[in-house]
Formats: sequence, structure tokens, C-alpha cells
Amino acid sequence: MKAFITGTGKFLPERSVSNEEIAERLGLQPEQIFKSSGIRSRRWAEAGTTTSSLAAEALRSALEDARLAAEDVDYLLFGTMTPDRFIPGSSPSVQRALGLREIPCLDIRATCCNALYALQVGKALVTSGAARRVAVCLAEIQSAWLDLSPQSGTISMLFGDGASSFIVSDEAQTGALEILDVHLATDGAYVDDLGIRCPGTEFGAKGAGQEGAGPADYFARMNGQSVILQASRKIVAACQSVLTRNSLTPADVRWMVPHQANANLLAQVARGLRFPTDRDGVVTVLEDTGNTSSASMGIALDTLRRQERVRAEDYLLLPAFGAGFTWGAGLCRATA
Amino acid sequence: MALPQGVIDFLNESARSNGAEQPGASDDLFQMGVLDSFALVDFVTVLEQETGISVPDGDVNPANFQSIEQIERYVESRR
Repeated sequence: MKAFITGTGKFLPERSVSNEEIAERLGLQPEQIFKSSGIRSRRWAEAGTTTSSLAAEALRSALEDARLAAEDVDYLLFGTMTPDRFIPGSSPSVQRALGLREIPCLDIRATCCNALYALQVGKALVTSGAARRVAVCLAEIQSAWLDLSPQSGTISMLFGDGASSFIVSDEAQTGALEILDVHLATDGAYVDDLGIRCPGTEFGAKGAGQEGAGPADYFARMNGQSVILQASRKIVAACQSVLTRNSLTPADVRWMVPHQANANLLAQVARGLRFPTDRDGVVTVLEDTGNTSSASMGIALDTLRRQERVRAEDYLLLPAFGAGFTWGAGLCRATA
Repeated sequence: MALPQGVIDFLNESARSNGAEQPGASDDLFQMGVLDSFALVDFVTVLEQETGISVPDGDVNPANFQSIEQIERYVESRR
């Protein structure tokens, strides 16, 4: 049995925040932010907005694209690092908001690789017969967790809010993408190089300043050098691995739809893979969205599909890297 | 042991394109602006190709590649 992506959707908050608007608070120059990341603006949700509400809008769009109704969904996966609540996960809120049936709802916490994990799990559910139509939501509201001070300038400049969604189905339809393979890996030695420490049992669960945790432990932290060095190599290796085991080379790939981390990193990966650069094949949206973590790959994929540039038999390579560190690459092929 | 010419050529070209002096044996390549995080990834690829060693991902950090002398010691340790 095969599994296909039959619909995609995205939703971005209305408010666009330019580099000029935040640069001074972050101790940076607007052009410096663009040069080091490729980002000119990002969307930030209004205070009080829930992550699940963005996800629900993206899923509505994906269902419409797949020509499905809410009651057709028989499994929901939700990838986010910024849930509505500590407990339970955010998928039940999407289930309620869209009026989905009493189906399994599973949150995934694999950071910027959430789309790939959801792709792998969704494919496994469909090909095993456990589900026929899996709805995947990927959403973040990261603006609420950013330290907008010079101390965290180089990380806080990156992140935006947004949501994406796709439907994994056992039935192909016009414009569907067959999910061929997903390669994933993790090395927990780098667990402290990217992430947010609290709340949690390791650094304290009750509140800032208690049980050894400091205020900084509640904000995003990043060892940027470690992220760049490891991501550059591990993403390339993952792409080569998934291509090799499918008897393909980078030259066979028409579209690279990566997690939108940083424009310089994407260029490095394309160079490392010797991915052809003469045909506009690397899909990038981060100039106007920033890094939307879990949601970014889906936003890029939806943008590409709605431009109607994908042709039958095109191969799509989907690489990602995130906190953990965890990384991987997915491989899809467009159907007729 | 001396590094292969291809490795030295990479560093000299990187120095030139970044407006830095050609590095001496003990110069700090990162302080001089010859290498940064992105250039280091490309440099390690060249180093692997030119010397035949394999650099594990965990070793890809500036501490191992701070100067030409340090790089020579690292390559020796991996042979």
C-alpha cells in the first residue's frame, strides 16, 4: 500500500514584524539580521492567540485542498514546540475546533523535524491500514517565548509564528505527492545546544528562579556555531542517505523543500549536496515568514504547490534539522 | 607533517576573499577572519578529500581547526 500527500494548507498571523521594528531592542542592525539569516520580516500573533487556533485554520485549508470534510479524518497528528498548555497536548483542541470525530489525536515534540516525523508516522499509519486519512498540523507561536534583549539577539531575530497542514491519504488524486521514504536520526549529546530548558523536571518545574532555574532557562537558547556546524553536515548526509537507498542522486531532484532555518544554512546544504542551482529548485519562504520551526517545511510545501510549478514525476527532497539534535530528510514524488 | 597544498590553497583563497592576510602556521584562523562556522564546514570537506582522513561530526568544532599547526596535529591524530 502507498501513502500520498493529497492536500496542503497554511495560515500566517496578520501582523508582520520587520527587522527595523526589532533590531534596536536586539542590539542588531536590520541589514545585519538579513545578511546573517535571509530574513526581512516575520509574522507574530497577537497576545492571547493559541497555537491550536493557527493550526485549525491551516487544517481547514488543507482539507479543502484535499476535497475532504472534517468527518473524513481518522487520525490527527500535531507537531509543535509551543503548545497551548503544558498538559494535555494541543491536538485535542484542534479536534474540537474542527469538529473531527472521536479519533486518535497525537502530539509530536520533535522540534523543527516535526513535519518529517509526522510524514513518517502518517505514512506508517496509512500503509499499515491503521488509518486512511491522517490530518497533520504543524504550528508555532514562538514570539511569546523570545527574549527581546541584546543578550539573545541572534536567536530572537530568527523566529516567527505560523501554521501549516497536510493530509496523508491512501488514495492518490490529481496533484498528490507519493511519500516514498523518510530518513530520521538523533544525537542527544547536543540536547543543550538548542532549546528551552523550563518548565521541566531537570531544571525546575515551578517557576522562574526556583529550584535552580533562572529566568534565562525559560527563553530559547542556541549555540549557533554548533547548530551550523552539525546541521550543515548532518542534513547533507541525511539527504544522501535517503537518495542513495532510492537509487537517486541530487541531480534527479527537482525541488528541495527544506525546513526554513536560515538562508545561509540552506545555501550551504545545497552546495554540500551539489544540488543544481540553475533552476530555482530550493524553495524558500523565510524572507517574509522567518523561521517558523515545526510549521516552516509545510508552509514552503504549500506555497510551492499553490504556485502550480510541480509536474508529474518531479522528485521532492525535504530536509530538516532541529533541537535534540534530530535531523533527517523525506523523499516524495509527484503523481500525474 | 605539512598539510597538502590543496588545504593551504583553500585557506589562502578564503583569506583573500575575506580581505585577511595569508595565515601563518600559528595564526588564529577564526580571529583573522579566514574561517567562520560556514567556511569551516567547507574546509573540513576539503581536508577530508585532500588528506584521506574522516572527521567525525563531533570533531567539527573550531577548537580542532584554530590554526594550521593545530590542523596538522589533528590530521596526524586521525591517521
